[in-house]
Amino acid sequence: MAGPNQKKLPDGTRFSNLGGVRHGVIDGFIGQGGQGAVYAASLEGGHFALKWYHDSYIDLDTGLKQRLTHAVHRGAPNQSFLWPLELVEIAGQKSFGYVMPVRSGDYHGMRDLIARPPDRVELTLPQRFIICCKLSEAFLQLHAAGLCYQDINFGNIFFNPTTLDILICDNDNVNVEGADASIYGTRKFMAPEVVRRETLPNTKTDLFSMSVLFFYVVMGWHPLDGKREADFSILNSEAEMSLYGTEPLFLFDPENTANGPVDGLHDPLVTRWRNLPSDLKSLFTRAFTTGLTDPNKRVLERQWRSAFTRAAHAMAACGHCGGEYAVAAGAASCGYCGAALEPALYLDCPRGLFALTPGHGLPQHLLGGGSPNFKTLVGVVEGHPSKPGVIGLRNLSDDNWKVELPGRAPGLLPPGKTIGLMAGSTFHFGKTQVSVREAQAKEVAAV
Amino acid sequence: MTTPKKAAPNLDTLALTRRQLHVIIILDCSGSMAGDRIASLNYALRSSVPELKEVARENPEIEVLVRVLSFSSTADWLIETPVPVGEWSWQDVAAGGDTHLGDALDAVEASLNADVMPGRQLPPVIVLASDGYPSDDFEAGLQRFLANDFAKAAVRMAIAIGGDADLEVLQMFINHASLRPLRANNAPDLVEFIKWATTAPVKAASQPTGADDPQSALAGQLEQFSAEDTDIVW
Ligand SMILES: Nc1ncnc2c1ncn2[C@@H]1O[C@H](COP(=O)(O)OP(=O)(O)OP(=O)(O)O)[C@@H](O)[C@H]1O
Ligand SMILES: [Zn+2]
Repeated sequence: MAGPNQKKLPDGTRFSNLGGVRHGVIDGFIGQGGQGAVYAASLEGGHFALKWYHDSYIDLDTGLKQRLTHAVHRGAPNQSFLWPLELVEIAGQKSFGYVMPVRSGDYHGMRDLIARPPDRVELTLPQRFIICCKLSEAFLQLHAAGLCYQDINFGNIFFNPTTLDILICDNDNVNVEGADASIYGTRKFMAPEVVRRETLPNTKTDLFSMSVLFFYVVMGWHPLDGKREADFSILNSEAEMSLYGTEPLFLFDPENTANGPVDGLHDPLVTRWRNLPSDLKSLFTRAFTTGLTDPNKRVLERQWRSAFTRAAHAMAACGHCGGEYAVAAGAASCGYCGAALEPALYLDCPRGLFALTPGHGLPQHLLGGGSPNFKTLVGVVEGHPSKPGVIGLRNLSDDNWKVELPGRAPGLLPPGKTIGLMAGSTFHFGKTQVSVREAQAKEVAAV
Repeated sequence: MTTPKKAAPNLDTLALTRRQLHVIIILDCSGSMAGDRIASLNYALRSSVPELKEVARENPEIEVLVRVLSFSSTADWLIETPVPVGEWSWQDVAAGGDTHLGDALDAVEASLNADVMPGRQLPPVIVLASDGYPSDDFEAGLQRFLANDFAKAAVRMAIAIGGDADLEVLQMFINHASLRPLRANNAPDLVEFIKWATTAPVKAASQPTGADDPQSALAGQLEQFSAEDTDIVW
């Protein structure tokens, strides 16, 4: 752990891969962690990050070299991982290290989503959902390869607030499923059975940690922190064991409110929860009720991925305060500021709802097959240049769309053109037929 | 319908109160600390300030508050009202007088209550740095101190300054089976240990661990400290 007076490797230190075939040099110090330090390094013309382990750590973690060798051999599960590329050594040094791609400066740690201003990064809910979608995809690929991460938490995951791409770092704990784990995990992210020390981290505990991470990204709060957490005036080890190990209970458990939200303390969370899409709420509820106690009933990566993909397109925002709400919920008034809401329009696409809010791009994946790709757009919603409140859909595809407006003969919308939107219209995107609907006004259901 | 004016103002976690983590630093400023020891201590604290701020930033879920008490012939709060770590700055202390550690523990004990520490709390972190043998009724003070619920739950850490420091007294203060006093026999060690003792328990809240409880995790980290090479030994 951090603290030992470990000597830094000076700039210019030469290293080589384990075979001694490729040679590189250390260009500068980046930072130090518990297990080692990270340096900027050049290797055969390329720039990399080099992680160099503290001597004391390689004695402790005896499986490390084998894990890394395996990781290097099989390669990164997908492009979201800053994966070990090659093991390296330095002449005369007892320890070893590995090189990996460099994380560029435009990435932020996940903690910045809940940080205090001015460190805080503000993202909309759809942006948060897209990040979660990419995380599900990355962990799906990792788990599908027979690997588990063991320590999913805020610290080692980064996001780019502009592209919403993610990077998963610290892959040296990644292990073959079933092999002995090197750590238990990070406080508040560990699965209850790991907190209780009944098992070591595995793919199923990864699923739990991942769902905690999702809840944090969406809600900015821990899913098991409710009334019972608030009642512990001192959160000591016994309290933590009870809250996260022996008697975990979801903040929004529909059946047991013993750890439910406390008036005046958790109000912003209640409002946000009420305004989430209902299928996402069901997944969270499953993850933190049956999924708490039965590792086999945890929500799987694919289920998260499709729920977050749908949710990313199904949100609208209050014109008065910006408060976000599920477009199909049909709330008559804003849950955040109380302002009356116009009935929201949305497209009822085969793969999910698409909120018709200006600026919102219609992705191919909502209409047909294919894995989520938030960059391939076939259309975009636009506000009318001079008539406030009037919106249209612009055809960004290369094909004509057949459009049926209520009470009018069907027409064609050529590429590049925009047509006004109203409830009851129907679009034909190739063989896919999609209708414009208006949310039915009603009061938002209680939690 | 329009796009949000401000991004997600509704995720107002600012309105949610954070659990507090109180860090209380108790410094021996008795006469035996005069000279380079007190100078090193001041330097160590000064350089710990930005580190603790950084660690706190990495733990946005908790609110870190700092208090500092110095003791010699009397116990005096340098910072009595807990100050948010972001606003904490270091004012140098001077050495002179006796070693009233018992008085110091009484003063801290008197401030460990729900009036000063309202609402949701993490176990406080109490760091004691001392070189000397207490000259007052330390044991009575310690007994009262350890009877306090906050003190009992606290992560108690001690730094022994100088090769001749009273380790037994510091171990009694720590009162934990595997956590030992840090022995600072020279200036670089003192700086390193003060930084570590003030930041490591805060860091532990969000660090991966292989240990069963936070205190043992800290004890494990301690074993990895290697002695700094230096000619000047206190
Ligand atoms: N590939 C990379 N590119 C750029 N910076 C990196 C890279 N990998 C790690 N870093 C940075 O280097 C520093 C040290 O990283 P390291 O992973 O050793 O420690 P850590 O994550 O702080 O702690 P721990 O050892 O507990 O995981 C951190 O600031 C980290 O963000
Ligand atoms: Zn509003």
